Amino acid sequence: MARLALPAFPLDNRRLVGALFLAPALLYILLLVGLPFVLAIGFGFSDVTVGNTDLNFVGLRNFEAVWENHIFRQVFETTIRFTLVSQVFILLFANILAVVFTQDFTGKWIARFIFILPWATPVSLAMIGWLWMLDTKYSPIDYLLLQTGFLGPGGILSGNRNLYWLAAPDLAQISVIFVQVWRMTPLATVILMAGLSSIPTDILDQAEVDGSRFMRTLLQIKLPLILPIMVIALLFSMITMFSDMTVVYVLTRGGPVDYTRVLGLYSFQVGIEGGNLAQGAAISLFAFPLLLAMAIFMLRAASRAEVQ
Amino acid sequence: MSLVEITNLRKHFDSVRAVDGVDLAIDQGEFLVILGPSGCGKTTLMRMIAGLEKPTAGRISIGAQDVTSLPPRKRGVSMVFQSYALYPHMNVFNNIAFPLRAQRREKKFDKRLIRQKVEMTARLLEIDMLLDRRPRQLSGGQRQRVAIARAMVTQPAVLLLDEPLSNLDAKLRANARDELKDFQRSSDITAVFVTHDQIEAMGLGDRIVVMSEGKIQQIGTPQTIYDDPANEFVATFLGSPSMNILSADGFRFGFRPEHFLPKTVSDSPENSRIFHYYVKRVEYLGSDRLVYGYVQGHESALTLAKVPSNVRVSLDVEADYEFAVHNSDIKFFDKASGQRVDGQNLAEAV
Repeated sequence: MARLALPAFPLDNRRLVGALFLAPALLYILLLVGLPFVLAIGFGFSDVTVGNTDLNFVGLRNFEAVWENHIFRQVFETTIRFTLVSQVFILLFANILAVVFTQDFTGKWIARFIFILPWATPVSLAMIGWLWMLDTKYSPIDYLLLQTGFLGPGGILSGNRNLYWLAAPDLAQISVIFVQVWRMTPLATVILMAGLSSIPTDILDQAEVDGSRFMRTLLQIKLPLILPIMVIALLFSMITMFSDMTVVYVLTRGGPVDYTRVLGLYSFQVGIEGGNLAQGAAISLFAFPLLLAMAIFMLRAASRAEVQ
Repeated sequence: MSLVEITNLRKHFDSVRAVDGVDLAIDQGEFLVILGPSGCGKTTLMRMIAGLEKPTAGRISIGAQDVTSLPPRKRGVSMVFQSYALYPHMNVFNNIAFPLRAQRREKKFDKRLIRQKVEMTARLLEIDMLLDRRPRQLSGGQRQRVAIARAMVTQPAVLLLDEPLSNLDAKLRANARDELKDFQRSSDITAVFVTHDQIEAMGLGDRIVVMSEGKIQQIGTPQTIYDDPANEFVATFLGSPSMNILSADGFRFGFRPEHFLPKTVSDSPENSRIFHYYVKRVEYLGSDRLVYGYVQGHESALTLAKVPSNVRVSLDVEADYEFAVHNSDIKFFDKASGQRVDGQNLAEAV
């Protein structure tokens, strides 16, 4: 069969078009994820510092030094504790809010919009807002408590005029966890809302005709059906939380003492602010196997829970 | 007194009148089919009976109780959806037990009674060996039985079925139709079955409700609906190929293709109307010959004849024949409203 000789047009070439479409994603991954990751590994096994950028291989020395450092152990423990505690609240609130926002009520659109704002606001900007809200002397929260008699002489919460949100050890930890929950609940909610609205209406109508009321439908139909999506939401927010440093960097710098110092911040403080690039890299690399194992475990659980 | 009584029921979605003033009485033990083209309001009507849709106006009562504003669980109805809507994360046992557990407190079902009821219903529908399976491990026919079992286990007053056979392949469907009818008759349950498939409707219904544009066009037995249509819509909607409709002075008349036969095989030509028929094309369909042609004086509309294969008259293409229709098989319709009119004095004008 004779083939028509058409002029060659570059975009008719499937290989070229494929490469062209893949290029942005590949570049992004290589330059912004791959390269720093390889560098971190390289640094972790070397003695590089800000002052001396020669890369000399030193084996596991950095990792040993970091592991034997009691501050690191405490930081590691704090990071895990913050992550786990915040996830409990994020999941709880996200589930409640997702159910609320998938009901019909007037003003739903505006309520959804306002609610999504914490997630849409740049982290550092939002944290500056919280820095003021939780200010040691001028916190509006303290002001309200003072006016209502909860603070000040004879107050129920404290005889002082302030609670010292970011300066008292326990309260500082609670504040950081609270702000993290505030910041990450919207994303989890949006993911769960997508899950809830993907449940076929036939199934929900059927449950209604079968005589099922709100709570039974929620606990026995809706939640089991969105379980896989819930695991994904949890994975996202756990990884974000585990590797985050912005919140504590702005709010507390890890203080008071080391009470709110988390892995991301500690790695930054040792590696960049302290100039010891090699140890900073080693610190951050400790998170890697943990997060990897967590991701594999949760993705497997999600695909196993998936039905149909 | 009928089991279900529907009075002047309406449902408007914005400016669309999905159900536009329906009056309907359904008797205990009846198999009622609601038939109509898609978008005619039949599913909306059924969803209002179920309580899933709130009527804009009108009244529904079930067993003499006004249920118009009651939620589904207080109506004593159950429903089988087109998709079967099985709960995918529950096994068959838990699927069937779900409505019992949901109504456990009101009806005082204990664990043992629930187990008994589920097992009994499953045996009845011959799915008792599938109780541990998940819905995704079942065939289409088995899923349908599970859905029916779940709907029947609470012994509802009315069983609502929304095109439950349309997801089955053609071979299974005839079988499922037969089983469904047997099952309904032996359990003496009142069934309301929504479909757009006229063969299903004719085969299953004790009575058929034909709907179009939110209104009931006719209610009657399959035979009444077919032989004695109330208007032009019903006449042309039922039957395949549909009724030939021809225009005359001031009215329209129609006859079914299977009643339009060569004059030579007519059993009583003296009681028949004779037409000059020009044959354009003949399709051989095995059991029938489907003839396309024109009736003299009505060349603007294609007229079909369905000639059974045992009629051995030769029919040549592009030739004229005399075809006859028995007088009683000609239906007359008002030109403006489409309503059936008495043909006595019109017959001469044809």
